[in-house]
Amino acid sequence: MSGVQLKDIRKSFGALEIIKGIDLDVRPGEFVVFVGPSGCGKSTLLRMIAGLEDVTSGVLTIGGKDVTYAEPSQRGIAMVFQSYALYPHMTVAENIGFGLSLAGRPKAEIAAKVKEAAGSLQLTHLLDRKPKALSGGQRQRVAIGRAIVRNPQVFLFDEPLSNLDASLRAQMRLEITDLHKKLGATMIYVTHDQVEAMTMADKIVVLNGGKIEQVGRPMDLYNKPATPFVAGFIGSPKMNLYTGAVAEGLGCKTYGIRPEDLTLSSERGRWSGKIRHVERLGADALVYFKVEGLGDMVARTLGSATFLPGDTVWATPIPGAERHFDS
Amino acid sequence: MRRYRPIVVGGISLAIAAVIFIVPFLFIALQAVKSRSEASRLNFLLPKEWLLWDNLVAVVEARNYQLLLAYFNSTVITVFSVTILVVLSAMVGYVMQRRRSRWNGVVQVAVLIGLMMPPAVVPTIGLLQSIGLFKTMSGMVLIQVAYNLSFSTLLYRSFIGTIPRDLDEAALIDGAKPWQIFFRVVMPLLKPVTVTNIVVQSIAIFNDFTNPLYYLPGKENVTVQLTLYNFQSMYSSQYNLLFMNILLVTIPPLIVFIFFNRQIVAGMTAGGVKG
Repeated sequence: MSGVQLKDIRKSFGALEIIKGIDLDVRPGEFVVFVGPSGCGKSTLLRMIAGLEDVTSGVLTIGGKDVTYAEPSQRGIAMVFQSYALYPHMTVAENIGFGLSLAGRPKAEIAAKVKEAAGSLQLTHLLDRKPKALSGGQRQRVAIGRAIVRNPQVFLFDEPLSNLDASLRAQMRLEITDLHKKLGATMIYVTHDQVEAMTMADKIVVLNGGKIEQVGRPMDLYNKPATPFVAGFIGSPKMNLYTGAVAEGLGCKTYGIRPEDLTLSSERGRWSGKIRHVERLGADALVYFKVEGLGDMVARTLGSATFLPGDTVWATPIPGAERHFDS
Repeated sequence: MRRYRPIVVGGISLAIAAVIFIVPFLFIALQAVKSRSEASRLNFLLPKEWLLWDNLVAVVEARNYQLLLAYFNSTVITVFSVTILVVLSAMVGYVMQRRRSRWNGVVQVAVLIGLMMPPAVVPTIGLLQSIGLFKTMSGMVLIQVAYNLSFSTLLYRSFIGTIPRDLDEAALIDGAKPWQIFFRVVMPLLKPVTVTNIVVQSIAIFNDFTNPLYYLPGKENVTVQLTLYNFQSMYSSQYNLLFMNILLVTIPPLIVFIFFNRQIVAGMTAGGVKG
């Protein structure tokens, strides 16, 4: 188990700076999730930690050792790719054992380690198959197996679940979390899906435009977002955010209220609006309406609520749940 | 009437194709089993006597079993040139596709020039003489490699474009050196295009007539296509033996082609369309 430290890490492609100075401390055994919109630099940052992209400036240490310019194989990392990147011409066993065979380990040792990894991932009966004969979830497990046998200090995951369907994704989320508990290894996980971030992370790093917006535990980010960007990114549906004159009237530059922090009534309340749309999710319902002078608003209410499109609805924020941002 | 149209059109197409492709071959085969005087009339009449075995023996024994030597020489040239071609052009194609540098444009132009410029015979002979490779098998091998490298490289480059870069990176993280990435991960995935390349180049090099004629003179250097000269001269030609010789020379590439026909087309189109 080793931690990862990033000190003022920067990356430029020509004159364009993609990563604008990242300072981050990942403690040994921690599960850290990099989250952010497309193009925020989260994958680039992960690839820099892996050694697949050069670091323009800054210092990267893994386990206390400076690896800023080290070869990927010398960093003690293993990576799981979004596309799985399994070698199509090799069997599952050969895929998992490829790294060990490159290192020139004896065949018996490779076979034993492959068997052990396959056993822990329920892949034993698939060892002789080629990747094309596997389902998406099985391929992902092979990719994880390939990472495990390297016995790395740090696991890197680059959006590993985005090619899977929804139910498989939920299952794999659990499996990866279990794996983290079992191995106790440091894991860095990149995703654009805030549900994955919230459910898996010990610590979330929210990135925006090549900079860190906020670092913290999932619920801290949800309850105390430092910036309107984090407030809008964490939580689904996103927080209602208002800027300009409306916010100034409320004493801040950006005013935010989460959909789940609004109480709806058909008679009285702070804001009123005409319902445009109601999304019924079963236990919950999401009510979309437009408040005159404020803008679009969404509120979460009980699934049994009887609001209909076209009705007038009144919304009131729960005391203490409002967010006032000064940026 | 409409119902019969596909059958009629198909029948006519097949007949035309048969005239173009099969009739010449039948003609060769027919002359090859005739006697010398019958064959010299060059017609489609059946022979009075079928001399298949006699002609075959005569061709093989001609000029002290020259045909066997020619088979040996052609095979050596083909095997060595195709091996070097496959390895070199796959490597060049890999680097051209994967590495972005300012030399890419220069290399691209060089490859295209290699494809477009006709080879100049006299200067090439001069060059070969000055480095002592004229009239040698190794010189001939190098000539074949040089002439076919461009096409082969382009074939590989476009195919390598369809192999995801993630695989290279996964191998890099697994601890593979660049040459290990190439030989253990990329090269095995090039199998379809390699088979195509081997078959196409083997047939072209084995059947080559002009290049051995220019660059590989000498009785001991004879290649299969040049043995045709044994039976044809300015004043007299032994058409029966000439055609028997053609038949013997044509058979090996034909067999290769029949067996790998499907794979050739698969490899040619694989680079173009993502599967």
